[in-house]
Amino acid sequence: MFDELNGLLAAAQAELSAARDGAAVEAARVKYLGKKGSLSAILRGMGKLPAEDRPRAGELVNRVKAGIEAALEQAQKSVTQQALLEDLGREKLDVTLPGVPHRRGRRHPVSQAMDDIIEIFARLGFHLATGPELEWDLYNFEMLALPADHPARDMQDTFYLDGATLPAPPPGAPPSAARQHGLLLRTHTSPVQVRTMLSQKTPVRIIAPGKVYRCDSDITHTPMFHQVECLHIEEGLSMAHLRGTLDAFMKGFFGPGTKTRLRPSYFPFTEPSAEVDVSCAACGGKGCRLCKGTGWLEILGSGMVNPDVLRMSGYDPEKVTGYAFGVGIDRLAMLRHGIDDLRSLFENDVRFLEQF
Amino acid sequence: MKISLNWLKELCPTSLSATEVAARLTAAGLEIEGREERGLPVQTPAPGAPAGVVAAKVLVRAPIAGSDHLSLCDVDDGTQVWKVVCGADNYAAGDVVPLARIGAVLPGGMVIKQAKLRGNESSGMLCSARELGLSDDHAGLLHLSKDAKLGVSVESLLGLPDTVFEVNVTPNRPDALSHLGVARELAALLGVPLRTPAPVLGVEKGDPAALVHAMAKVEIEDAQRCTRYLARVIEGVKIGPSPLALQERLRACGVRAINNVVDATNLALLELGHPLHAFDLDQVRGARIVVRRAAEGEVMKTLDGQDRACTSDELLICDGERPVALAGVMGGLTSEVSDGTVRVLLESAWFEPSGIRRTSKRLGLKTEASIRFEKGADEQGARLALDVCAELIARLSGGQVVPGVIDVYPAPRPLAQITVRPARVSSVLGCEITAGECERRLSSLGLVQSGGTPEARQWTVPSWRRDLTREIDCIEEVARQRGLDTIPVLQHAAGVGETQVRSAESMATSAIRAQLSGRGFHEALNYSFVAEADLLALAAGNTLVDGPKAAALARPIRVANPLASDQGAMRTSVLPGLLRNLQRNLAHGAPAVQLYELGRVYLPWPDPRHPTGPLAWPVAEPTALGLVSFGLAQARFWGDPVEKGPALDGRAFFELKGALDELCATLGLAQVTFRAATAAEAPFLHPAAAAALVVGEGEAGVVAGVFGQLHPLVAHHFDVPPGAVVAELWAAELTSRARPAAQSRGIPRFPAVARDLAFVVDAGLAAGALLAEIRGADGKGLLEAVELFDLYRGAQVPAGKKSLAFGLRLRAADRTLTDTEADSLVAAVVARLKAVGAEMRA
Repeated sequence: MFDELNGLLAAAQAELSAARDGAAVEAARVKYLGKKGSLSAILRGMGKLPAEDRPRAGELVNRVKAGIEAALEQAQKSVTQQALLEDLGREKLDVTLPGVPHRRGRRHPVSQAMDDIIEIFARLGFHLATGPELEWDLYNFEMLALPADHPARDMQDTFYLDGATLPAPPPGAPPSAARQHGLLLRTHTSPVQVRTMLSQKTPVRIIAPGKVYRCDSDITHTPMFHQVECLHIEEGLSMAHLRGTLDAFMKGFFGPGTKTRLRPSYFPFTEPSAEVDVSCAACGGKGCRLCKGTGWLEILGSGMVNPDVLRMSGYDPEKVTGYAFGVGIDRLAMLRHGIDDLRSLFENDVRFLEQF
Repeated sequence: MKISLNWLKELCPTSLSATEVAARLTAAGLEIEGREERGLPVQTPAPGAPAGVVAAKVLVRAPIAGSDHLSLCDVDDGTQVWKVVCGADNYAAGDVVPLARIGAVLPGGMVIKQAKLRGNESSGMLCSARELGLSDDHAGLLHLSKDAKLGVSVESLLGLPDTVFEVNVTPNRPDALSHLGVARELAALLGVPLRTPAPVLGVEKGDPAALVHAMAKVEIEDAQRCTRYLARVIEGVKIGPSPLALQERLRACGVRAINNVVDATNLALLELGHPLHAFDLDQVRGARIVVRRAAEGEVMKTLDGQDRACTSDELLICDGERPVALAGVMGGLTSEVSDGTVRVLLESAWFEPSGIRRTSKRLGLKTEASIRFEKGADEQGARLALDVCAELIARLSGGQVVPGVIDVYPAPRPLAQITVRPARVSSVLGCEITAGECERRLSSLGLVQSGGTPEARQWTVPSWRRDLTREIDCIEEVARQRGLDTIPVLQHAAGVGETQVRSAESMATSAIRAQLSGRGFHEALNYSFVAEADLLALAAGNTLVDGPKAAALARPIRVANPLASDQGAMRTSVLPGLLRNLQRNLAHGAPAVQLYELGRVYLPWPDPRHPTGPLAWPVAEPTALGLVSFGLAQARFWGDPVEKGPALDGRAFFELKGALDELCATLGLAQVTFRAATAAEAPFLHPAAAAALVVGEGEAGVVAGVFGQLHPLVAHHFDVPPGAVVAELWAAELTSRARPAAQSRGIPRFPAVARDLAFVVDAGLAAGALLAEIRGADGKGLLEAVELFDLYRGAQVPAGKKSLAFGLRLRAADRTLTDTEADSLVAAVVARLKAVGAEMRA
């Protein structure tokens, strides 16, 4: 009987390891462990054993039963796995088909550039300042050392507003500001400088991004565009600090390899004034069509704040100095993205907007 | 300003190349913006061939039979007579003209070849100024002087080749609007001496008994507007053309040659920068010049033939009877130099800049003279210009300068004195600059030391530099001269605690943009000015209503001088721009368009954030958030169209509402409700599909904006489909309420119980009311969420009714909810809804 049991286990193991499908496994289970199966048959013969052999036989029966069950489980697992592998082998998917689209909207390149600039200057310790776009002549021109009849006013063709459509001047507005004919669309972000200086003690460290307007429209000019003004006033500032901030700004915006250079120029509200060129974003300074072979792109106007401007705003130019610059954001965005038509920025054609 | 390099080198001798000169000037602030090479390409004649363009005399001109314009000419180039066919008509036998011989290369690369025209051999080409690349003039052949040596190259006759620079002179530097001015800069930069023209007349002293005083008199009535008036008389002049080389100089600078006298005044202007005017003295009645203000309405005829109506602010040059020139702007027709002129009265004066500027603007008349006077001419330099020009006129016209000079100069202007501290120069520029360097650089620009100490040196400013009035101006001069690249690059370290933290509003604005991008909306940027008709159309969508919104929309601030009629009104809404964008994009074939714009609108009342005081904003400029959508952004949606009338598209409406829902959730707005908007609140929306977004609870609730489907009339005005939906919200109402940082509620520790309930209600009952009732039934705070997941109207429910299905999620924070508790809440919900007429569906 002992031999019979051991033989049974070996036979079951052999049969199960050869089973190739669920039916074979089930057949083996019935054959060996079923009510009418081999093991039951052997158990029925247990009574004939001598009493002293029974414990050993019981032990063996349990071992054989466990052995067969393990083999059954193993075989079941194996045939299931086999079936799965066969199923997987039959399934096909063309992985080169396009992915399910989720249409995302895009940020306008100018507003992206504006945010990046704010971020760069935030790291340099500059605060964000804002001002009105409908501005008084006083703040847009006069307090920036640009009195009426100043020839430099020709540099900025100005939009004026129809006085009949304007409200009464706000209470407490400066008398000369409150003359309604003095209201215009700001031609630059510089009036925010004036408003900041009138309301703040030094150190002043601000940037003022926003819309500005000039009465000009052709391939390279739109009547509305965007500028960022940067103003820094405190004790001990020199033109070297202007260069430092410009350098950090341009490297932050165009990349670490960017170089800047200054050329003397003229702006009424700065003295000395400088035009700033940046190494060409397209060719890196080697010379190309964009930079007309010079390797440089004219990018912004800058300078040390005119002492008259400081004085008009209540600072002592012998104690504090400052620098300021204004940059066209639209142009920066165009250079960064290789946009060649300024006007496309304001047409809002989806085929254009979705490129950014 | 166009500057001829040949001319410049006469005044400032240098061997530098054109490129080097351009680089030096640009680095010093006289930006060379453009460059033109004048002259012929390099001539490479074939061996033995007489190539080039030379002076040649036309011996015979014979019309070619069968052609209406061609002639066959015999042309003598000094060595040989050539047969040449020519199509021009402005010449005759005896004229000397440019002959491009066989093998000559013309600008543009054209090579002259032997040709046959109408059966006639042509051995060369007679040239116009345009064919030689000298001007746009192609009316006929360029005439060379009849005594020109035949066979001499045209280039040598004209003083070519030359390089002409386009110099961008900033408005503060009128002194650089001349060859002498640019030469002065270049001489200072290169450290070479300047060759200022030195007329012989210059040494003559003003002699009151001189002959000139018997020939003309000058009176200044307005000494404010005209501080100095100089005059000379040249007699015995013979009007004729100027020499070719001088004509070429004028042409190079963009000035047309007229006659020797007028050309001389223009040459002196271009060389010295001081405007001059030549009168025919015999046309100056009474031989008197009076400088006075015009009478209001006084008319004078300028030499361009126009009648100019003056105001009393215009300054006139008059003779004994009538105006003869618009001072500093343009001469008059009556006293113009003409072919018969024999005596010339030459004017050199100084006019006050802002007066010239006003006249020039008022009359829309910008001339070489007015440009210089309005920026500030040189009061002292007026004398030099007069003398140089008088000598030139005499030389070119064979006349004589009458001895003596008229110089009415009642109050000579003292020269500016400036104290310059080298230490200050160093501290402003951020690099060490010695007293010696300061002195060297300022002297080179013509400033003269007039006292002080090395630490604070006093300088006298030359009369031509009226822009130098303060120490800082001199600091700039030093910086320009040494080059801005010599200034070091220094990073300023921001102080501790001074670094910027972005404001909550600015972060909320970024969140709005990110959210809308995720939802498929592109960001648009439109002009701030729009067509007023577009604003009126928005306001008048519902003509019965005249609410505050309509009034604000329809009363925009107008631009006084718009560039185009559709840019005449400051926008009171961002929607017109977006709707125009929608229209254009659909016209281009876009199937779906989702756009938003975040920008200011301009309203004709005080700005509530900056209402008073010196820093008040002139008008209100709140930021609006506008959205426009047509076609579906994304496919997923909780259900199918709800309402579909002829002009009502529920799905688009709820897509937009979903976007706004998400937006409010992203910003963490605590209390947001939606309700139907009135026509007064949203005149541009379809009355049945107009909603208001209210933020804040109860009394504190504020309408942050409105949204819905476009009113069909508005859609018609903008030529967009009536199914388009729009929203316009006040950005500040959203961003100011944005939750600065989301607060965690932890993760629920006990399971939730879900119950779905469906109710049949009157079709007119608002879903929002039912949702509010459901929430109101939850007295114990167990209702975690309620979701409307189905809306049904059709065969399964009675007519005039609809079925709404809600999914409720119940949960207790501190225990597992029992079925009994859930059942009792559901019972409460059912009871409350029954009270408003909702029957639970089985």
